[in-house]
Amino acid sequence: MNRSKSLGVALASVLIGGGALALAGFALATATPHQTALQCVKSTTQAHTCSITLSTFPDSLEGAHGKGGGPHPDWVTYSNDNIDVPANTTVDVTIDQYDGGGPANNTYFDNVVGTNGGFDTVNGVKTTHVKNDLGHTWTLHAIPGNGKYLFISIPLPDNTSDKTPVKIGDGAYPKPIVVKFSFTTGGATVYNWNCEFPCGGSREGNGFGEAMSSFGYMSGTITVE
Amino acid sequence: MATEKTRSLKTFYWAWGILTVVGVVLSIWLPHRYMPSMMSNDGSLAMETTILFSILAAPVAAGVYASAFHTLRHYRYRGDGVPPAAEQVRENTKALVTWLTASAILTVFVLVWGLGALAAENSNSSGNPLVVTVTGQQWVWTFAYPGTHVVSDELYLPENREVEFRITSLDVTHGFWVANFGVQVDANPGVYTTIHTTPNKLGSFVVRCEQFCGLNHAFMEAIGHVVSPKQFSNWLASQPQRA
Repeated sequence: MNRSKSLGVALASVLIGGGALALAGFALATATPHQTALQCVKSTTQAHTCSITLSTFPDSLEGAHGKGGGPHPDWVTYSNDNIDVPANTTVDVTIDQYDGGGPANNTYFDNVVGTNGGFDTVNGVKTTHVKNDLGHTWTLHAIPGNGKYLFISIPLPDNTSDKTPVKIGDGAYPKPIVVKFSFTTGGATVYNWNCEFPCGGSREGNGFGEAMSSFGYMSGTITVE
Repeated sequence: MATEKTRSLKTFYWAWGILTVVGVVLSIWLPHRYMPSMMSNDGSLAMETTILFSILAAPVAAGVYASAFHTLRHYRYRGDGVPPAAEQVRENTKALVTWLTASAILTVFVLVWGLGALAAENSNSSGNPLVVTVTGQQWVWTFAYPGTHVVSDELYLPENREVEFRITSLDVTHGFWVANFGVQVDANPGVYTTIHTTPNKLGSFVVRCEQFCGLNHAFMEAIGHVVSPKQFSNWLASQPQRA
């Protein structure tokens, strides 16, 4: 094989190999299920204010995973993962907590952190921390230097009620614990949020596997735009 | 009259010299350009070590590249068939002794300097450090200040006071990394690993996780601040009593 032919073969190999890698990446990216982002609903009475409502379910029968709960109907889930909110706006958040739980592995996450006023309300009662077990947390954290610095953590109490389950879609759940809080956004950026209560399954038994280690269940993003 | 061999060697020495100068300049410029602003004695030591080791490596790397260029230019085979066997050099005592001596001196120097730097980083010089318990978990850091009521998601440190970080994890292995301090330690579950440093420059920094730890590893960052001792006391006093 002469020199120019060898060079041609080498170049073709690099191009074909690179193309195959790019195709594989594209296939993986498009195969990842994306939920439609939840939009913050603007208040008709207050300027620069909007609201969102999330829920936590003990399974995926309800939420954004499709008919029958999608590929993992028994995995715990938030109702939505990705959320769009406007910039420089007060966001009122309501979380309907339908799931049970246990003691936090880090008591810091028993506390309400970073909300407007430093508190939330649990079934209408103002609170700064959860005394008993947790079901989940909703914990938002910023990448330092990437927009307004926010660290918000909301403990969602363990829902121990098993009376008169509420039928929602394919699932039946206890009466929810309703947690409300608000925070204020800055300029356009993207924040990440996730649950800090180890509520997923795991081979190691630490609770951070399965639903906690997969997109679309116990984590998501908040896009400020 | 110079022979072809001495002329080609002259080119090699010129290439070696020029590449060494370029390497030394880059060794000094690149760390200052791309490494973060150092905010502790250990960070400064890490910066000095990086620069010194790069300067020492510059002539070695330059020699390798100059040799490669020299060989490609003067000894490459231009024919199409199988090249004839080259003349083998069995021994060159002068080259061997020079190479081994220089390598040994460089290696021993780097070893001694590195051990000294490591010992300096691990030493507890003040005897009264500020203790901070650093806890990593998927995918956030929390910082506790034993002896006070304070636990925080932000790391506040007073300037010019030695800090003892006690680092652990609640789930998988994380990596506590503050580039500005030159501090990087694994956070292992069930184990407390201790490291000391003394912040010596006011400002903000980022605490990162440098061990791939799962889904949101890329977001596992916290903000930190080096403040004056008075500001630090005020910050401690202003923190809410948590559960």
